[in-house]
Amino acid sequence: MKKILFLTYSFFLVFISFFSYLFLDPNLTYLHNFFTGFSYSNRGIITLIYTAIVFLFFVFYILFVKLLNKGVLVRKDILILIGISALGLLFSYPAMVSYDIFNYVATAKVSFYYFENPYLLMPIQFLNDPLLLFMQAANKTALYGPFWIMLTSIPFLLGFGQFILILFNFKFFIFVFYLLTTYLLNKLNSDVKNLIIFALNPLVLFELFVGGHNDIVMMFLVILSFYLLKNKKILLALVFLTLSIFIKFASLFLLPIIIYIVIQNIKKREISWDKVFVASSILMFTVFLLSTFREEIYPWYGIWFLAFTPLFKNKLLKGFYLALSFGLLLRYIPYMYLATYLSPTPLIKTILMITPVILYLIYMIVFRKLKLRVKK
Amino acid sequence: MGMAQKTKLKFNIQQIKFILIFILFFFFVLTSSSFASSSYVLPYPSAMPGNIFYKINLLKEKVMKYWYYGDFGQFFYNLKQSDKYLVEAKTLFEYKQHLLGLVALKKSNEYFVQIKPNLLSAKENNKDISENTDILSEAALKHTEVLDELKLELPEVFVWTPEKDNPTTINFKEILDEAINIRNESQ
Repeated sequence: MKKILFLTYSFFLVFISFFSYLFLDPNLTYLHNFFTGFSYSNRGIITLIYTAIVFLFFVFYILFVKLLNKGVLVRKDILILIGISALGLLFSYPAMVSYDIFNYVATAKVSFYYFENPYLLMPIQFLNDPLLLFMQAANKTALYGPFWIMLTSIPFLLGFGQFILILFNFKFFIFVFYLLTTYLLNKLNSDVKNLIIFALNPLVLFELFVGGHNDIVMMFLVILSFYLLKNKKILLALVFLTLSIFIKFASLFLLPIIIYIVIQNIKKREISWDKVFVASSILMFTVFLLSTFREEIYPWYGIWFLAFTPLFKNKLLKGFYLALSFGLLLRYIPYMYLATYLSPTPLIKTILMITPVILYLIYMIVFRKLKLRVKK
Repeated sequence: MGMAQKTKLKFNIQQIKFILIFILFFFFVLTSSSFASSSYVLPYPSAMPGNIFYKINLLKEKVMKYWYYGDFGQFFYNLKQSDKYLVEAKTLFEYKQHLLGLVALKKSNEYFVQIKPNLLSAKENNKDISENTDILSEAALKHTEVLDELKLELPEVFVWTPEKDNPTTINFKEILDEAINIRNESQ
């Protein structure tokens, strides 16, 4: 039974990878042979398939959680599932729903090929560069912190100037940070039932293995910082927190908690780590909400608070984040179907995102009431 | 009599036509001459010598040289500094601070001379320099416009006599011609 389940899951992931290539950009000359234009002319079918994929992804996920709770699946199986997820999705087309990975490559090219300052020069200023044909933020200087730009030299230079190799190097690079984060989370909380909430969460897998978003690098450094704080290595912890801020500034919001931990450490007081991680996830959730004022809520921002879920016990909050993960993946649907960012896309996006959360909260209220009645 | 009046009238219309065409011709000639001026925009004057912020700006200028690394980075840095010092020179000349104005103009020249090598270096490094070459041409045109204006406003030769120092003779015509030459040669 286990084998059949793993095999079905593998096929499902490979199907997602094939499906992702239907979204190929027509100007991406490097993969021109794979271009079909199907997603541009069959928006209804594409949206339907994508919606089914999201639902099925969560069905698999819930199944894994249930089987793990029943003891059918063990730690080794979870590791196998992580491996299957990586193998199944790492070769997917990364710009299926977001072009961020092209921005990473372009910024790295400005820095390590043209040897120019990416905070001063935009990719568009390098006329005739082939990247300009298909990237979407060519008129912006570097959007991320300097530490991220430094790190991108690794996947970029290891690509030896070959775009496809560079592109998949970036995806592999992100995968390495996912593994490191999962390893650290496991060190902080060895219960695999907790780990699975993050490690096999469909939003996490989709945004990291398909989209290749750098949020995981920032979160790895944050988790590493907490790990070091727990081991009383305050100075190193502060160094890594600073490095994470120099990737994306979102982790700056964790500074009050870090200061609190440092003070408690100095005063040699007991720290309630469960409360610390709950507060941290809530703070990152706040930054996630505040991103509406900057641009909009992007689904991969969910990784900011999801990274803390294996570290605390609050089931209500875990369920809330899980429901939100589902809603976040649904945010892609309106644009996929309507092909516009204008009205009514933003409204539908919001409705689709909050509906699972509202349904979850209603369920929890009714469930609790029923539980109380049974007890009485 | 009536015929003669008609001919006279006809002649008048021809005259009017001629005048209209003449006006239109001059209108186009005049407006076309305005197209020759550069659309390049120079910055506002910043802090002037003597101000505390001027010293801070000098420090910033040195630090920014490293921030603007790379061929294009240096291109924009040198152009920015040359623009800044040209505006500074113009302002100082307007306020009759001729010696300080000359120092600023000299700095503007020094930065302007460095721009072209940056572009050539970028070309050697396989960067498309066509857009930046256009920017440089526009900048040179604008700089020349400003320098030409100064030539009209300033005397050809000026003797600067400070209170407790020897007088200095400033050959504005020569200095401004040299500055214009630098701009023309850099294109």
